Amino acid sequence: MLLCVNILGNCLSGETPTTVLWEEMLDALDAVSPLVDDVRPGLAFLDMHGIAGGARAAIAQARGVLTRFECAMRIGAGPNKIAAQAAAHVADGTICESGMERALLAPLPLRLLDIEPTIVERLKLLGIERLRDLARLPHGPFVRRFGAAAASWHELARGIDRRPFVPRGQAVAIESSIFGEGRASDEAQVFFALRMLLARICADLERCGKRAGALRLSVELEDADACDFDVSLALPTAHERTMFEMLRAKLDGATFAAAIVGLRLQALHLEEGGEEQALFCADDLDPQRVAVTIARLEAALGSSVARAKTRDAHLLEERFTYEPFKLPPRAMLEQARCSGLVPQLRLLEVREILVQIRNGEPSIVDRQAVRQCTGPWRIAERLSADGQLVPSGVEGRDEYDVVLEDGTFARIYHQGSHWYLRGVYE
Amino acid sequence: MLATVATTPTCHPELVEGSRRKSFDLLKARLPQSVSVASSRRAAALSFEVLLPTAIPALDRLLGGGFPSGVVATLEGETGRWSLAAGLVARMTRRSLVAILDDGGLYPPALAEAGACLERVLVVPAGKALAMARAADILLRSRICRLVLMPAVALRDAVWERLAKLAHRSGVLLIVVAARAGAALSAVAGMRLHCALERVLMHGQRGLWGTVAGFEIRVDVRKHKHMAAGGSARVRVECEEMRDAALR
Repeated sequence: MLLCVNILGNCLSGETPTTVLWEEMLDALDAVSPLVDDVRPGLAFLDMHGIAGGARAAIAQARGVLTRFECAMRIGAGPNKIAAQAAAHVADGTICESGMERALLAPLPLRLLDIEPTIVERLKLLGIERLRDLARLPHGPFVRRFGAAAASWHELARGIDRRPFVPRGQAVAIESSIFGEGRASDEAQVFFALRMLLARICADLERCGKRAGALRLSVELEDADACDFDVSLALPTAHERTMFEMLRAKLDGATFAAAIVGLRLQALHLEEGGEEQALFCADDLDPQRVAVTIARLEAALGSSVARAKTRDAHLLEERFTYEPFKLPPRAMLEQARCSGLVPQLRLLEVREILVQIRNGEPSIVDRQAVRQCTGPWRIAERLSADGQLVPSGVEGRDEYDVVLEDGTFARIYHQGSHWYLRGVYE
Repeated sequence: MLATVATTPTCHPELVEGSRRKSFDLLKARLPQSVSVASSRRAAALSFEVLLPTAIPALDRLLGGGFPSGVVATLEGETGRWSLAAGLVARMTRRSLVAILDDGGLYPPALAEAGACLERVLVVPAGKALAMARAADILLRSRICRLVLMPAVALRDAVWERLAKLAHRSGVLLIVVAARAGAALSAVAGMRLHCALERVLMHGQRGLWGTVAGFEIRVDVRKHKHMAAGGSARVRVECEEMRDAALR
């Protein structure tokens, strides 16, 4: 037996309940049944299977818990969703017995099925105004005329409801904190406290069968200041040691102005299920170990570890960008190609150089004779973010590749009246 | 066979000694003349180590199969050293992560052109020598990469020794690219290769219609933990489109 709770609006304003108010109502309905299907604000179904007391008692109980919200409501009961909804539509407190669904639905209007208004208009033009009219139609031709969704409408009109009951998820908050009389000024004390918090958090995670995708550590200091550290885990986990490694790596480079008097640890981005394990592949990367290493590097160096990405551009400096490093999916394995040795340009800090010209091309660069010279390549425009060519904003430049007498193979450019060294091929 | 003869307790000592000598002579006679004692030692040593091939046949022949893992290797010289390193990075990113400690000179498009999968390359920005040493230390200890590539910086002898020990213990190849390796780095390096420019490869004419297609370098082995130094190989370093054109 299902219960349909249809909130018609606030008694005072007549409007449908706000999301916050609706969430409070759903929380209140948890007292009636632990399985509540939240269809939309104002409409919910409660699964009453296995709950003692019968439909009438359940309706009374639901009405009792919602009284304090002072809302106009209709509550009905039926063997499936459409029957319960129809019962609530007919009159508050109606109960539809099993086998009576079609009879109850027959005189009701089409709008009970949540059909688009344009289609309701088309059906009305065909003389179909009530669910009984719809139920009488031949199934095949009706579905061919109105599409696959029409099959569901036709079944619903006959009291057959195959829509699944989707219980709303329960928001779980897992956190632990330590606030004491004393204060911690030594990192060993902080790590000891962190281990205690992590043990509690991991025990809670295990109890709920969940994994955390991120952690938030709030550190309260003696001078009433507070610092928050967000630690994202590469792979959601409930593994205490991994979490501790990540937190320790994050705290490696941190300094506090005052002693620590309190710690609060929250598990965030909770996910269901167990962890993926690499068992027999030696080459499989351990995402947690990579994440710990990256956190440690970032804490030690103060700058983020990146991965490069190439893009089309005219200027050398704009042909690549850096983004935070993320472990590539395993499908990437073996996709990299090997194409032999290719000259590698090393970018140098741009500096002005002395260049002498003969026959329109550089002959002496930085007091060395030029053995080979190619170019110039004029670069006067750049790619915008949306891929359009726009003027570079600075004066166009002419680039040359030169091989000098000492074997140096360099990229130089001429801009305005000056020459610059951009990089060296190594 | 030798061990069996030597440990047989019933044999007379003189007889055992004679048998040992005879067996040794027999084994020695069976060895081909071209195989020296040194090379057989090298083969035995290499068989216990993982080699990281470069996929450049001439270079792999020169190095006895590739770079040994778990050592500090230096790539020295003026031209070609980073190209050689990029080739190895491209090879290694096929199966594992590679870390590059960047002093600001890295040009990723060239690395991608060499065939490296950039998604598997950790670029660690480290401008100062101390930061570079710390980053190398963390990476070697973590063992998440099989290759760590860094430009040479001025570090104390003890730091180089520590990095070499870490590389050995973790089985990670640490390649240091330097114009010329210092005394401390040379001492801890298990392999030292020197690159020298032989000739520049041009495509087309000089000027606007010409392109430097690449260069040919000579790679000399200055030090190798398993073989005698002195070998050399010539390697071509070419732009990708030039190689494609040559193949067509």
